[in-house]
Amino acid sequence: MTALRSRNLILGAGITLLMAAVALVSLAWTPYAPTAIDIVHKLAAPSLAHPFGTDHLGRDVLSMIMAGASSSLSVALIAVVVGAGLGVPLGAFAAARGGWIDDVVMRACDLAFAFPALLTAVMITALAGPGAGNAMLAIGIFNIPVFARITRGAARSIWAREFVMAARTAGRGDVAITVLHVLPNIAAVLLVQATIQFALAIVADAGLSYVGLGTQPPNPSWGRMLNDAQTYIWRAPLLAVFPGVAITLSVLGLNLLGDGLQDWLDPRLRRGR
Amino acid sequence: MTFYLLRRVAILLATLLAASIVVFVVLQVLPGDPAALILGTGAREDTLAALRHQLGLDAPMWLRYARWLGGLLSGDFGTSFTYHVPVAELVRQRVLVSLPLALFAILLSTAIAIPVGVAAAARRGGAADAGLMGVAQIGVALPNFWLGLLLILLFAVRLPWLPASGFPGWDAGLWAGFRALILPALALALPQAAILARVTRAAVIDTLGEDFVRTARAKGLSRPAALWRHAVPNALIPVVTLIGLQFSFLLAGTVIIENVFTLPGLGRLVFQAIAQRDLIVVQDLVVLLAGSVIVVNFLVDLAAAWIDPRLRRAGA
Amino acid sequence: MMLRVEDLTVALPMRGQLVPVLAGVSFTLDRRDSVGLVGESGSGKSMTALAIMGLLPPGARVAGRVMLDGRDLLALPEPDLCGVRGRRIGMVFQEPMTALNPLMSIGAQVAEPLRLHLRLSRAEADARAARMLDRVGLDPARISPHRYPHQLSGGQRQRVVIAAALACGPDLLVADEPTTALDVTVQAQVLALLADLAAETGMGLLLITHDLGVVSQTVANVLVMYAGRVVEQGPTDSVFGGMAHPYTRALFAARPAESGARPVQIPGQVPDPLHRPPGCAFAPRCSRAEPDCGQQAPTLAGGGPHRAACLHPHAAS
Repeated sequence: MTALRSRNLILGAGITLLMAAVALVSLAWTPYAPTAIDIVHKLAAPSLAHPFGTDHLGRDVLSMIMAGASSSLSVALIAVVVGAGLGVPLGAFAAARGGWIDDVVMRACDLAFAFPALLTAVMITALAGPGAGNAMLAIGIFNIPVFARITRGAARSIWAREFVMAARTAGRGDVAITVLHVLPNIAAVLLVQATIQFALAIVADAGLSYVGLGTQPPNPSWGRMLNDAQTYIWRAPLLAVFPGVAITLSVLGLNLLGDGLQDWLDPRLRRGR
Repeated sequence: MTFYLLRRVAILLATLLAASIVVFVVLQVLPGDPAALILGTGAREDTLAALRHQLGLDAPMWLRYARWLGGLLSGDFGTSFTYHVPVAELVRQRVLVSLPLALFAILLSTAIAIPVGVAAAARRGGAADAGLMGVAQIGVALPNFWLGLLLILLFAVRLPWLPASGFPGWDAGLWAGFRALILPALALALPQAAILARVTRAAVIDTLGEDFVRTARAKGLSRPAALWRHAVPNALIPVVTLIGLQFSFLLAGTVIIENVFTLPGLGRLVFQAIAQRDLIVVQDLVVLLAGSVIVVNFLVDLAAAWIDPRLRRAGA
Repeated sequence: MMLRVEDLTVALPMRGQLVPVLAGVSFTLDRRDSVGLVGESGSGKSMTALAIMGLLPPGARVAGRVMLDGRDLLALPEPDLCGVRGRRIGMVFQEPMTALNPLMSIGAQVAEPLRLHLRLSRAEADARAARMLDRVGLDPARISPHRYPHQLSGGQRQRVVIAAALACGPDLLVADEPTTALDVTVQAQVLALLADLAAETGMGLLLITHDLGVVSQTVANVLVMYAGRVVEQGPTDSVFGGMAHPYTRALFAARPAESGARPVQIPGQVPDPLHRPPGCAFAPRCSRAEPDCGQQAPTLAGGGPHRAACLHPHAAS
């Protein structure tokens, strides 16, 4: 079982690092410019010159996948940062104060969960204007209640422990205790959750760009590529495969990383309870 | 039990009311003047003002909310700016696509996930467990709209068995309608089934370690009988809760899946209404979808209480 | 002769290796007879019960024989064993709070083995379950069989577990620490109930406990276990009359006192099965240990039914 755990961790970290590396490299170099149109060689099958073939405008699919990695990962990353940046303080605040403040924050989270996240993200991006920036915000908003809830739950169990009681008796304020004692002790839980939310954000971003609300052309995005591929699915079915594999692989890597981290940190998480 | 039910219903109604307020306020705050959208950019200010008055948009916010809510409760959802038909009529047509699709997907997902999860738990640590969970790990990572494309590629392009897109309507016959929903339902169901199977497995493994399973074995129940009669029912609470949560994912999923398969459902309607700034339609649909999520979660709570007598206490 | 356990030996997989947790346990138990297994936790007494029931954890290696009326249960295929459990041998567990299924009414849990083994209809099984609950002291008029475990106290739940174990009228009841988790006043009631039921039905009783006081009042024969081996066994009167093994004496001194005197803790701990000392496993904690105790493991010695496994036993007083 130990072998399996570390296998998840290593495989997950490996895939995630690979995708991150592809995203970074694409900023400096791609085989072709991902936006370079070459109508003569459109819908070409994979070859040495174009390992993944070309799309309906003759753009190099490998280059687009690489550039798509950087846009997809950055949208997802910022969405998670937005969600955690607002959700963690909110949850920590609710846990520290308790009482009616806690009740109100948690009821608000319950209410937020009633709105299907992707549906509302579609609504927000469509009304506020399509684009990568609004996609980050729309996805990020729905990470807030997720982080608030998990932070609050984990933080409350820390608040109940002796060393926090001791710090309180010693006259430390809520903010100091939260920063010095609570957050360091729940960091592991939050890290695991962030990995899961990162994966969900990648899928959400791909979904938004698929329906044309995420990253805007000519900037490549995996979702947009899938949408284009659907039009040509009878002539060039492979075009529908590569972007999907890229999304699935990224999500799989992050999920494995999350599972691996969870198991690796488990003894510590258990002691935290 | 009666008190438990009353309490639950009160919470349900309060949540529904809160959701309607949130939807209303958010849509007021977001940019977009319906009158300007209807009349176009060249409209004169006094014509715009007249239309706003006619649509009741110049009334104070609380009054407009009260009118809208009153309409919703009496079945008058307002009139679409773009379709020029009552929203209730639009919803009635579309719900006949989306609801069967969502139910079909939930049934498929549950029917696949529970046997797989239980089988993996019963053989935990073995090759079958590792194999099933490996497949589930990949299934969880599959975005449903890409899975939809792959299914089209496989069952409509390579093997011409099923339609690639579109919906003939139930008038074309039950089978014709059902056929059009098979691929979208699979695309929605399989990733959810993978998640559900993993949760089912974990929950069953937890309960298999419980003392009462050993008691059941000591009473003479075979391993499978102890598993299905004692361990599985006790593992159902988290599973049923997750099925309820998945309903929300599924509704959101239909927004994209109905686009992949060009199905005339609620998801596509809400998408088009957003694109055309048909705000009353958006407002109605979002509150309907959120309302159905709230109601489904209420039903899940009731189901959990039906399964577990400990949850029937009023305080729970 | 009904139950005859011969040279029962069990090894469990731990950290990739098979570790012996039970070695050479032998005893017999007749109808209308009772045997007590005593020892600290980790002594192997629960493992003995699970081995008899065929409910050892997966991967366990078992040797020896568990003969029930001439059939070796260890050699019996699983479907036949299911016909023995709950029908010929009933079992009661330590934790009444968790031994019952929280989702099933107590009546249904008592009726379950009746429907399974005796093929009774639902109505017949329910009626008999209600009588059984009444017999163990849960009057159906006061405590409905439709109640759920969480609505009952610990003692009441243990009565339900006993009713379910005895529903099919087994020839043998295995009770693994049946009173440990209960309040002191309830402990005596449950023990008295078990003794009553055993006397009334004529079933054999295998009582597992860490409490020598319980044993001395309830059973006819006693086996004292330490680190997976029997260190002293014999008729209860004889063993208590002349405790030969230093461990038995230490355990006796450490029993919960009724008079309020402080029990004497046995110094040290039961050795971890992965690191058993050579020779007598009790030697490191024994006040009478001599150098030879660390070299050879003593075997049960003594002519009569009362025997002890000790190189330097206390003389019979």
